[in-house]
Amino acid sequence: MFWSKTRKALRARGVMGINQRNGDYILRYNKRSLYPLVDDKIQTKQMALDAGIRVPHMYGTIATEQGISTLHRVVEQHRDFVIKPAQGAGGDGIMVIADRFEDYFRSASGRIITTEELEHHISGIISGIYSLGGHRDQALIEYRVRSTELFNRISFEGVPDIRIIVLKGYPVAAMLRLPTRQSQGKANLHQGAIGVGLDLASGVTLGGTWHNLKIERHPDTANPVAGLTVPDWQECLELAARCYDLTGLGYLGVDLVMDHEHGPMMLELNARPGLNIQIAMDDGLLRRCQIVEKQLEALKDETRPVAERVAFSKQQFAVAGPVAAQEE
Amino acid sequence: MGSVKLQARLLAVFLLLLGGGSIAYQLLVQNVPLSQDEKDPVWVVDAQVSFSAKANKPVKVRMFVPPLGEGYTTLNESFISNNYGVNVNVEKGNRQVTWSSRRAEGSQYLYYRLMLTPRYADAPENDPGPQFRPAPTLDGPDKLAADALLEPIRQHSADVETFISETIKRVNELENDNVQLLLGSDVSPENRANVIDLLLAVAHIPAEPVHTLRLAESQEQQPELWLRSFNGKKWLYFNPLNGQQGLPEDRLVWWSGPGPLLNIEGGKSADVSFSVHENEMSALQLAQSLRLKDVSSFIDFSLYELPLPAQQLYRILVMIPVGVMLVLFIRSLIGMETLGTFTPVLIALAFRETQVVWGVLLFTSITAIGLSVRSYLEHLKLQLLPRLSVVLTFVVIAMALISLLGYKLGMGSGLSVALFPMVILTMVIERTSIVWEERGGTQSLKVALGTLVAAIFCHLLMVWQPLVYFVFTFPGVLLCLAAIMVLMGHYRGYRLTELLRFRAMVDGDKR
Repeated sequence: MFWSKTRKALRARGVMGINQRNGDYILRYNKRSLYPLVDDKIQTKQMALDAGIRVPHMYGTIATEQGISTLHRVVEQHRDFVIKPAQGAGGDGIMVIADRFEDYFRSASGRIITTEELEHHISGIISGIYSLGGHRDQALIEYRVRSTELFNRISFEGVPDIRIIVLKGYPVAAMLRLPTRQSQGKANLHQGAIGVGLDLASGVTLGGTWHNLKIERHPDTANPVAGLTVPDWQECLELAARCYDLTGLGYLGVDLVMDHEHGPMMLELNARPGLNIQIAMDDGLLRRCQIVEKQLEALKDETRPVAERVAFSKQQFAVAGPVAAQEE
Repeated sequence: MGSVKLQARLLAVFLLLLGGGSIAYQLLVQNVPLSQDEKDPVWVVDAQVSFSAKANKPVKVRMFVPPLGEGYTTLNESFISNNYGVNVNVEKGNRQVTWSSRRAEGSQYLYYRLMLTPRYADAPENDPGPQFRPAPTLDGPDKLAADALLEPIRQHSADVETFISETIKRVNELENDNVQLLLGSDVSPENRANVIDLLLAVAHIPAEPVHTLRLAESQEQQPELWLRSFNGKKWLYFNPLNGQQGLPEDRLVWWSGPGPLLNIEGGKSADVSFSVHENEMSALQLAQSLRLKDVSSFIDFSLYELPLPAQQLYRILVMIPVGVMLVLFIRSLIGMETLGTFTPVLIALAFRETQVVWGVLLFTSITAIGLSVRSYLEHLKLQLLPRLSVVLTFVVIAMALISLLGYKLGMGSGLSVALFPMVILTMVIERTSIVWEERGGTQSLKVALGTLVAAIFCHLLMVWQPLVYFVFTFPGVLLCLAAIMVLMGHYRGYRLTELLRFRAMVDGDKR
């Protein structure tokens, strides 16, 4: 029987299913009242700034139709910027402006955009087209992150981001999300972006996943995705781990971007991170979460400093297997 | 976490026991029929009394009729006669009807009709009988013969029960001299019963004859004679002809005691003939007709007590948890995506009014029209709220057109787009378009299709008559459903679609 065999094999690998994620992790570790913190990017950004976590600089927000006319003042100083809905989901409604001349803007993909079009887009954001459940929303205008040269080889347009899943402050899984032509520059897997697993210990890329399949090369650039090292990896992990202390959400997806000037920046947080990261890592999330839970039990839920938690994760979740013996 | 899990399990078990218990009670104690078309035999017993009346003399006919409520439920009892007064009196456990008339002439016919059913009957009551009686005085050869017969009987028996069956056996040995002496020349069952009674009386064992009727399709039937004796706990029944013990299930006790069935004054050549018919009646009808007669039945304190329109409504409402349960399975176990949990159930409810095939066509076509209008409006770059309003307006126009077209073509179902399906349709379009906005066209088609499939299954399940009857009659089912839902809340296994989704991870192992 195909079903029972696959089920057993998945169990053996410690693969987490949606029912399990919802019931045992999200419901258990994430208090509903904390969701607004991560669903609203403006709040998340504010909180991160207060805590000294590096985020893309916010140029301004627009909350009302009248406010749209202030757009030119907000972006006056900047040649390039990003407009996104504060409560958007799945990367929808994000407009990346790469350059401007006179009254025209040019998007990252090279399309010329008039001011009216831009204003209409913002009006759409405010009326809630892109927000979860169609509520009114705010438009967020912020610094445009430009990717490092390293990632440009394996991504098509857009900016790759790094998704790190953090359980009670311990990073458990990480992947690099690479935009493709199909995903139209967005880094969301269900829109066709590629997920590439990362070795937690070293930040080296492993195999990739695309539409639930395993892949080895980027479909657009044909460059192999494996074997690259993410720079500032230690900093990335610490940044992600700190987001737990920041929000109190025990099961958290942290999205980081790697700016060519400023290094890793926290882009957004997700209280219901997807499960495709398992295919990218080629490892079960449940297996890793249980290791962390065992550690927490041993520590009697005592909160350890960030560096210690990151060290534990790096040691436990190294692709070569736990490296404890070698260190001691 | 562990304690919460345990608590949930206990709750589920509690709900399951409560629901299961109430179903079991209704089934086993109240005898509620398990399905709507469960049929029960209804026995119609007719007794026809015929006699010729003597001219110018008052007529008085007395006949035993069965005591009611012993192992059977009486549905109907009627005494049919012309110009006769009818009076029923109870005497020593027997009932007797008296027909009386000042004058009658020529051949007369009186009818008695009884309708019985074994369902919903109380267990027969055990009126205690005597356990001792004085011995009659015998003398001469009778005494000798009786003693000679009783001697071996006493030796071969251990208690009242075996004593009686032994006596019956002996008396039926017709070639035995002593038996022949006691019986004389009359070997009729009545006389044999009398001799058995006599022997038992000598041994101080009380016994009385009972006259029974067989409940089996028959035209001419005479009551069959049985003997019964009370052993201190219950009545023991014996067939005086063959010693068979225990009254068969299909026997109806008509009267007990030595008296004749019919007693007539002012008439002659009286005769009683019995005929028995078997009818069938659905158990539900039976319960309802019993209720009209103020006989308590399972209908008390059930949803059947509600007025009919409310019953109709609840027949639909009690099925909603069943539909929700199905959606829960489809979502949590299979992993098919639907628009919310309740939308498929609501669509399924709407299908009640439109019929499935027509409903599916209607829903898909109108949703398609709505979505295409929507995508055109997006091209115009209208804002969310105005856009949705325009979509809804066009949905109403489309529905009106379809209804009109259907009416012109003579299809009544085109008109069935009532208010309720209309509201649900609007909601579906709104939700589908939100999914379209948020997650793209393919995804929204997938979700819409999932919703439609789930709705069709829900509908088929929710209108399945045996199930509707079962849930409506045994509301305990709802508690059981709740128990399963509680357990589902702690289900952590993979969804079927996830097995497909993560297949890549397993295939990797094989390589």
